[in-house]
Amino acid sequence: MPTRILNKSWLIKSIFFISAFVILVIGGTTYKKIEDLSQSSALLTKTYKTNVELEKIFSHLKDAETGQQGFIITNDPIYLEPYHTGRENINYSFAELKVLGSDNTTLQNNLKELNILIDKRMEYFEKAFRFSSVGNYEDQNFNENFSNGKKLMDTIRVKIKGMIDSENQLLNKRQQTYDSDLKLTPMFLYMVLLLSLVLMFLTYSKIISDLKKIKSANEQLEIFKESTEQSEIIGKQGNWIWDIEESTFIYSDNLYRLLGEEPQSFKPTLDNFLNFVHPEDLEKFRKDIDRMMTYADLSFIHYRIVQKNGATKHFKACAKLHKNVDGKKQLLGITTDITDEIEHFKTLEERNLELERNNKELSAFNYVASHDLQEPLRKIQTFLSRFEDKEASKLSDSGVLYVDRIKNAATRMRMLIDDLLQFSRTNKADKAFEVADINTLLENAKLDLAESITDENAIIASNHIPSIKVIPFQIQQLFSNLITNSLKYKSNDRTPEIRITYSKVIASEEPRILRPKKPYYHKIKFSDNGIGFDNKYAENIFVLFNRLHNKHEYSGTGIGLSICKKIVENHQGFIFANGKPNIGATFTIYLPFL
Amino acid sequence: MHEDYINIILADDDEDDRLFFSDAFDELKITTRVKTFNDGVYLMDYLNSEGTVLPNVLFLDLNMPRKSGLECLQEMKKNDKFKDIAIAIYSTSASEEDIEKTFVMGANIYIKKPNDFKTLKKVLEEVVTINWQYYTNGLNKDNFLLRL
Repeated sequence: MPTRILNKSWLIKSIFFISAFVILVIGGTTYKKIEDLSQSSALLTKTYKTNVELEKIFSHLKDAETGQQGFIITNDPIYLEPYHTGRENINYSFAELKVLGSDNTTLQNNLKELNILIDKRMEYFEKAFRFSSVGNYEDQNFNENFSNGKKLMDTIRVKIKGMIDSENQLLNKRQQTYDSDLKLTPMFLYMVLLLSLVLMFLTYSKIISDLKKIKSANEQLEIFKESTEQSEIIGKQGNWIWDIEESTFIYSDNLYRLLGEEPQSFKPTLDNFLNFVHPEDLEKFRKDIDRMMTYADLSFIHYRIVQKNGATKHFKACAKLHKNVDGKKQLLGITTDITDEIEHFKTLEERNLELERNNKELSAFNYVASHDLQEPLRKIQTFLSRFEDKEASKLSDSGVLYVDRIKNAATRMRMLIDDLLQFSRTNKADKAFEVADINTLLENAKLDLAESITDENAIIASNHIPSIKVIPFQIQQLFSNLITNSLKYKSNDRTPEIRITYSKVIASEEPRILRPKKPYYHKIKFSDNGIGFDNKYAENIFVLFNRLHNKHEYSGTGIGLSICKKIVENHQGFIFANGKPNIGATFTIYLPFL
Repeated sequence: MHEDYINIILADDDEDDRLFFSDAFDELKITTRVKTFNDGVYLMDYLNSEGTVLPNVLFLDLNMPRKSGLECLQEMKKNDKFKDIAIAIYSTSASEEDIEKTFVMGANIYIKKPNDFKTLKKVLEEVVTINWQYYTNGLNKDNFLLRL
């Protein structure tokens, strides 16, 4: 989240620059507008003044005319006063108009023309005075002069009127510009102000929303920090950051606790940490640290530390080289207290050794049982057979009976030893599983028992069974034991029949499989038509040395089916028995798909 | 005359077994010359001495003091002189391990000592009358252990 906010800061930056630009533009434009306004207003004033001066000229001219007429009628020089002052005032006004029209060529030209007209008019005035001073009013020249003066006066009137009109036109134009300037300027200023306000608001809301995001990101960081701290305590872990270039450290609180110290109770430096490292591990630790700095990623390093209270702890640490925002190299590390693990491991190792010893003792016992115990028994049996061959004829009836009893006991002893050996050898250790043709294993088992099968005229029928991953000789043993069992407990009323059927099943659909380890199983069923058994013994018959019948009725050691169970269990499978007295027994084997 | 006898040697530390062995051959109607030795050291001394008539079949017990049957087997297989002797392992136990080991080391047959005298006679008769050349060619791990 913080990086996202950082990345968005360009937006705020650009808004700031746009706003600054807008404000500059506003300043510039406002200055320009005010300048324009004052210029328009100055022009207006000029035009007004020009008009006033022109009006003045005409009025002075009129005054002069009136004065002239008064003088001609009365011949009183008092009437000549306005004429003289009029002439003077006209000159003043011309001077004024020249200044006002300095930037207006039309006005200047018009003024020149007007000046000529006024000069001519004045000339007519002078002439008229000359005629009037001699009192020659009947003179034709006087009349002509008078009427010319009148005509000229009309021309001047028209000229001044035209000049005023053109000035008025200019005035109108300037008035319009001024008005439009006056109207547009506030509008423009207002719009620009509005725009900058909008921009300011955008910036403001952006900053506020970013602040909110930063705040919530900070909250999340806080939560994350808290949960990290908790998990560090529970997981017995400590974090550290090592700024390699500046050689400064940051330890997490829990790292101090792992060292048996109060959080942040001493300055986190390499030397201070080395003080805790077990003296025997110090050299190796230094080398490991050097390697950590050289290689970016490093596998775990192991070392011991000694806490101040003298307790030794086993630590495991790993680190990763990281470059921070400024491009500085940092080593980010995790240190874990693995003392418990190591102690558990040690206990486990000791137990394993003990188990190994026990196993060795057991196999030694196996050897003793197979070799040393069998040897004297074999001799007893062989000597008995020699004795029977050579000495039987010399014995009394009871002597023959005793020899027979000894023979039976020895045979039973041999069976027991053989079966026990078989049982103890039926284990999984170092027996390789391989994909085997189960049909062949079944045929081999039948071959081993060919003699008794022929003797009993037994019928053994089987389905095709697919190849399965098994310990082959054990499965052969299993089949052999099951067939032997069926033949032994055959019914005397009928020919023994064993039916072997195969199917592939889903564990969840087989109610007898309570805790399946695999989803699919091979189901192999051995059904016979023997004497069967009461179903309440269905579980007991697999127990070692457990027999349902007296050994005088049926020979047997009570080990055969226990071996079957052990073999099936070695294959992570299940075996179940199901019996109906005098009808038959069924043995169901489930072998998992491996 | 020599050639008509089948020369047989048994190395076994057990006195009773040596007795059964000799008795069995006495009762069999085969012309054999049976020699027995108490352990591997005696056996190898005899076989290695000059002028010894090498046996046709050697019965070797595995568990013997001083020098075991396995050691004798190893020594004999190293020496070309003994390559024509048929070696029968003759042992109380028939553990998978022993069978496997002796087969790999080059023994010709594995006999588990029988429990009665009649079977013993049958086994020994079978073994000494085997056509070894033919038998050895078809030898594999499954028929290595003699089954009767």
